This record gives sequence, structure tokens and C-alpha cells, in this order.
Amino acid sequence: MDLATQQRKLLGLFRSTYEVAADDDAYIRKVARSGDLAEGKKNIALWRVWVFERTCALTVSLLRRRNILESLIKDFITSENISPFRETQAPAFLEWLTKSDDDLVASVAKFELALIRVRQGDRHTYTIAWNFEPSSILHCLAKDLAVESELTPGHYQVVVSHKIPGHFRIYELR
Amino acid sequence: MAAGSQLEQKATTCVSIGATYEGRDPALLARMLPLVDYIEITPETIAEAKGGSRIALSKEVMSELRNVRKEVKFIVHGVGLSIGSHEGWSPTYFHLLDELLDQIEVEWHSEHLAYTKVDGEHLGIMLAMAKTEEALDMICERVMIMQDRYKLPFLLENVVHVIPDAPGDYSDAAFLNEMTRRTGCGLILDAYNLECDAHNHGFDIRGFLGELDMTRVRELHVARGVEDNGYLLDVHSQIAASSTVALAQDVVRESQGSAKVVVYEFMPEAVPGLGYDTIADQLERLQTAFRN
Repeated sequence: MDLATQQRKLLGLFRSTYEVAADDDAYIRKVARSGDLAEGKKNIALWRVWVFERTCALTVSLLRRRNILESLIKDFITSENISPFRETQAPAFLEWLTKSDDDLVASVAKFELALIRVRQGDRHTYTIAWNFEPSSILHCLAKDLAVESELTPGHYQVVVSHKIPGHFRIYELR
Repeated sequence: MAAGSQLEQKATTCVSIGATYEGRDPALLARMLPLVDYIEITPETIAEAKGGSRIALSKEVMSELRNVRKEVKFIVHGVGLSIGSHEGWSPTYFHLLDELLDQIEVEWHSEHLAYTKVDGEHLGIMLAMAKTEEALDMICERVMIMQDRYKLPFLLENVVHVIPDAPGDYSDAAFLNEMTRRTGCGLILDAYNLECDAHNHGFDIRGFLGELDMTRVRELHVARGVEDNGYLLDVHSQIAASSTVALAQDVVRESQGSAKVVVYEFMPEAVPGLGYDTIADQLERLQTAFRN
């Protein structure tokens, strides 16, 4: 087996996009059934968790509280081509989460993504819709506390901009 | 040679001490500076996304590094080059390295003997190279290009074997020996990676070191990760074990003066858990082990 074929098949095994055939190379079959492959995949997810804990702490806190952090990271790894450049990983993860069907997850991800961008010098102004009162939720996430008891339905906007002291302001829509 | 000895014996060869630093933690840097001779920088981890996909070094971190350049030497250790990808390496890495070398003086630079992407798709992990003639030819050609381009010593590091080794034409040590012989490049020997391989795959450290030309080893790494499901993981979240330090000492003795520095590697995510005092204690312990 040449280098390119071997690397392509191993990539497929790690990204779960390659099914080993009965007549496949003995080495590829060995890797596919090894515990090493499963452990390697776990290791990939573990690295992402550590990076995200540091670089998008609010969103990680919410996902962990909802017991969906690991499963979402696994889905993210499978579906996205994640750059090895660590500082790009959180923005990519947050961008991916902005499409979530869960309104709160999407709002928190949009907020944290905007905050990262503005803190890095982005001059845009971002306006994010929230269906829950944001201040108590953000307080809980910043302190890594439970948020479920703080979910007060309502219509709010959070504006994120370099022009605002502290970089964001919450508005209630009446 | 007593590879992997559990005792930290006094080293007979004196080497410098280094530590990783990924920026944005000036208090940590200040704490480490009196204890190290070298700071190891990873360009990718001091880079920022500057809108879209453009990646550039953080001005803030580069300023930190420039401010301490009279107190410490710098070495560069990349993670994103992917020198072993069949289709070619990462151009982004070269942009960052160019940018970094324009701003600070470094003693040498290094990468991992591995690949992290295939056909532009990222693995999310480093995989060790197949030890074949085809892979060796490709790696050697690329090492020569690196050395020609930067006119600095270039080292490659043994990575953890995440999966079983593919059938090859060379043993691990013979592959490294031939690579260094053909190109003149140096080696980083990561003592913790060797221990991971021994623990996870029954790798014969003694046999490997016995076969390796250790006069090509310029730098050693010590670190420690966690055990999961019976596997030792290559994460840098703990202080190095005594066995890892002892293994590094063995290599320093056998390197006949070629080994210059032992670097304690830890990731920034581990700093809150470890604490500055523990990191400083680790560096002092390395001073005791390697400066006598």
C-alpha cells in the first residue's frame, strides 16, 4: 500500500467516513478493529474540550450543564474540517453552534463569537436576539452555575460592539 | 544503559532547561524566566485569526517575547507543518514561521515527524509516519528544503504512536538514523512519548535507544498526561514523572554532548490546575537533575 492510500484510509477511519472492506489491507483492518483507534478518537475530542474550556467558556458551561457537550463536540469533529490552529477552533465551533435548533445555545454561541471577534479588534456591531432574559443567564455561565432556574422568557437583544464599555449591552424589546 | 530507571540519578552531562510558553500570561512568564535558559514557542498557538481564514501572530504575544529577549533564548517548536502529509505540507505554517523569524532571533526550530492532515482534511491528531523507503525519501526532501530556506538547525521529534505501526522498511530508530544521516537534521527526543508507546503498545525503549544514534539528539522533552481506559494520553497536563526525567537523563548521558536542552512541556489549559508554584517546582527539579 503506498503512502497516499494508507493516509487516506487512516483519515477515513479517524473521521468515520471509511468502511473497511473484507479484502482491505491487513494493516487497515487491524487498525479498524483496534482499541487504539477508538482511544485516538476520544483523545481528539478531549483536546477540543480543553481548548474550548479556555477559549469559549460560556458556551462550554451551557453545553456541559445540559449534558450535550461531548456529543456536540463529536458531531462537530465528524462534520467539520477543524484547523489545527487552536485559536481558530473556538470561532469555528461557535459558528457551527449558531445554527443550533436550541434557541439558547444559538444565542449564547452568537454572543460569545461576537465577543471574541470584537475583543480581537473587529469593528462591526453585532445584534443578537434572545428569547430569555440574558443578564442572569450570562452571570450564571460566567460563574459556571446552573442556568435552568434563570430562564425567564422574553424578547431581548444583546448588542456587541467595540464602542460599548465592556463590549456589550442588553436591551429588552417591548 | 538503565533506560527508564525509576531513580533520578545525577546527570553527568549538564544541559540547559527550557519551558513552553504560549503567551498571554505575563505572570507565568516572569515566574519562569529566572529558572529557564530557553523558552519554546509554538507559532500556531501564538497566532490569531484575523478575520476570515487569515492567521497571523499575536502582536501582544510577540511584544511579550521581544521584551524578554535579553533574558532568555528562544527555540521554535511547530505543530501544524504536517511534514509527513503525502500531498504536501501546510503553507500557513511557513507564513507564521517567516513572520516569527522576522521579529525575534531563535537558536533552532523544530517540528514533529508526523502528519496532521490528508488531502487538506485535518485529522485532529498527529499520526506517526510509516517507516517506509517512500516516506523516508519524502521526509528527507522536505527537511532539506526547510534547512535551505531558513539556514537554521532543524529538528524533528518522535511522536506518540496513536495506532499500531504500519509494516515498514525500517525500525523507528533506523528511520531516524537514516533521516539524520541523509539530511544532517537533528532530533528532539520526547521521553514521555516513549513512555506512552511503551505503556500503550509495549514499545521497547531500551532497544530503541540502543539502536538510535543519540549524537543527533539536540533537545529533549519531558511532560506527563493522563491515563484513560488504560491508555497513557499524550497531553501535557501534569508535572513530569520521575521515570520520565530519569529517561531524559539517560539520553543526555548517551548523547555525548549533543543534547543542549531539556524542555518541560505543558499546555496553557493546564496552567490553572497546575498553578505557578508547581510549574516553578518542576523547573527547579529539572535544574537539580540536569545542572550539576
